[in-house]
Amino acid sequence: MRDVAVIGVGIIPFGRRDEDSLLDMLAYSSLKALDDAGLGEKGVDALYVANMGAGILQHQTAIASALADRLSLLPCSADTVENGPASGASAIKNGVLAIASGYYDTVLVAGGEKMREVVGWKATDFVATLTHPQVEYPYGITLPGMAGMLARLYMEKYGLTEEQLIAVSLKNQRMGSLNPYSHVEMMITKEGIHDHRDAIVNNPMAADPLHLYDMCPVSDGAAAVMLCALEKASQFTSNVPVVVAGFGQATDTHTLQERDDPTELKAVTLAAQQAFARAGLTPQDVDVAELHDAFTILEIVESERVGFFKTGEGGKAAERGETALGGKIPINMSGGLKARGHPVGATGVAQVVDIVFQLRHALPEGRQVKNAKVGFTLNFGGFGNNIVSFVLRRAE
Amino acid sequence: MNRMDQIVAYRCKKCGRIHYPCHDRCLDCKGRDFDRLVAEGDAKLLTYTQIFNLPWGFEVRFLIIGIVEFENKVKAMGQIHAASLEGIHAGMLLKPAWQPVRQVAGEAVYGLVLYP
Repeated sequence: MRDVAVIGVGIIPFGRRDEDSLLDMLAYSSLKALDDAGLGEKGVDALYVANMGAGILQHQTAIASALADRLSLLPCSADTVENGPASGASAIKNGVLAIASGYYDTVLVAGGEKMREVVGWKATDFVATLTHPQVEYPYGITLPGMAGMLARLYMEKYGLTEEQLIAVSLKNQRMGSLNPYSHVEMMITKEGIHDHRDAIVNNPMAADPLHLYDMCPVSDGAAAVMLCALEKASQFTSNVPVVVAGFGQATDTHTLQERDDPTELKAVTLAAQQAFARAGLTPQDVDVAELHDAFTILEIVESERVGFFKTGEGGKAAERGETALGGKIPINMSGGLKARGHPVGATGVAQVVDIVFQLRHALPEGRQVKNAKVGFTLNFGGFGNNIVSFVLRRAE
Repeated sequence: MNRMDQIVAYRCKKCGRIHYPCHDRCLDCKGRDFDRLVAEGDAKLLTYTQIFNLPWGFEVRFLIIGIVEFENKVKAMGQIHAASLEGIHAGMLLKPAWQPVRQVAGEAVYGLVLYP
């Protein structure tokens, strides 16, 4: 197996992008990644495109074929990868395997989603199609609803508090306000979303016990990474290569009700363990992480299940500032899904882009984790039933 | 004893694990032979939420949805029929019924409704 490196990254501002089609966004981010990798006027061996819902939302399929044509990458191989909200990381995983096996040398991975051109209930319904079609979906359950159930169980079992959830929300909104690619750039205060008498208006209940500011926004956006065999990276660019040191992927039951303990999120633990084992590293070696905080509760539970904190300690750690810049393990210095936004097909790719920025030491003070050498990402598909994680390290 | 004939679970003949919905192989031992098991008795509430941002197909202000465990250990999701979360708590017993849970193209879709 060959070492695989990320040699180029591209991302466009997430948010509401009425002027751009899905293909526009994928093309813009891909061109940035190609240019960043020194491949601006060259081809690639393969293209993987992560997208969850163009068939439903845009009535368009075969996105990878369309992007290969648009970017003049013909006759490269091209595949669209759909794995729900973990499509992005799944697409990167496929690119990594293709290069590690020796089959291809250069692979472009782009992820994108255009969710804001439909009304809110359609977007909610679209994401809910990943629930079980007979025993979950008919009841009107949504992903926020599942997160609400998880949060309630965590409150009962581990004493998780609303203040701990708010700590995640405040941190990620603050970091998002510093990220030029972030959907939500607004700073919030605990007073505004919790303490003040108007907080019930600013921050209404969304999926009890979770409020509006526990949720990520519905976003348009795209991101891309250029992968290359590490041994050939210097042929293209002088960028510090970021090595994909390991990845892990694990699945769990489709329905929440069939899990012995829904708070366990077994697939999160397994995916992280695989990634660390492959990398020969441990959670304690990680300098910075991007976790899948579609809901604040997820950042807390994931931070425990991947091994950064003991079970039941993640909320307290967030409240103590241990996941903030300068803390024990800075999490979501991009603002996370909570603030950067969550165009579902793009998210897993955007997480890797943000870690590459960190490991290149390319971010401004206020977001850059000093001397970061090892990064970690976790992309959460379904409601914890298909997880993909990466350990990335700066090549010295 | 309540019987929810529409909620049919599957108990693995080899290891006894209960599955709802059905699987082609047991989630524990990969056995392929199952006994049918109809959900019976009251339903104990395991967890729940009240959601306000609803997907397509609901003309109501909110939904209360929970996961319950029947007396014979079958677990299922259902809608809780209540005006608010007041008085709703994990561990309480709910009475199950098979009733419309949503409309699709003017047709009622039936499912598990739980009454405090």
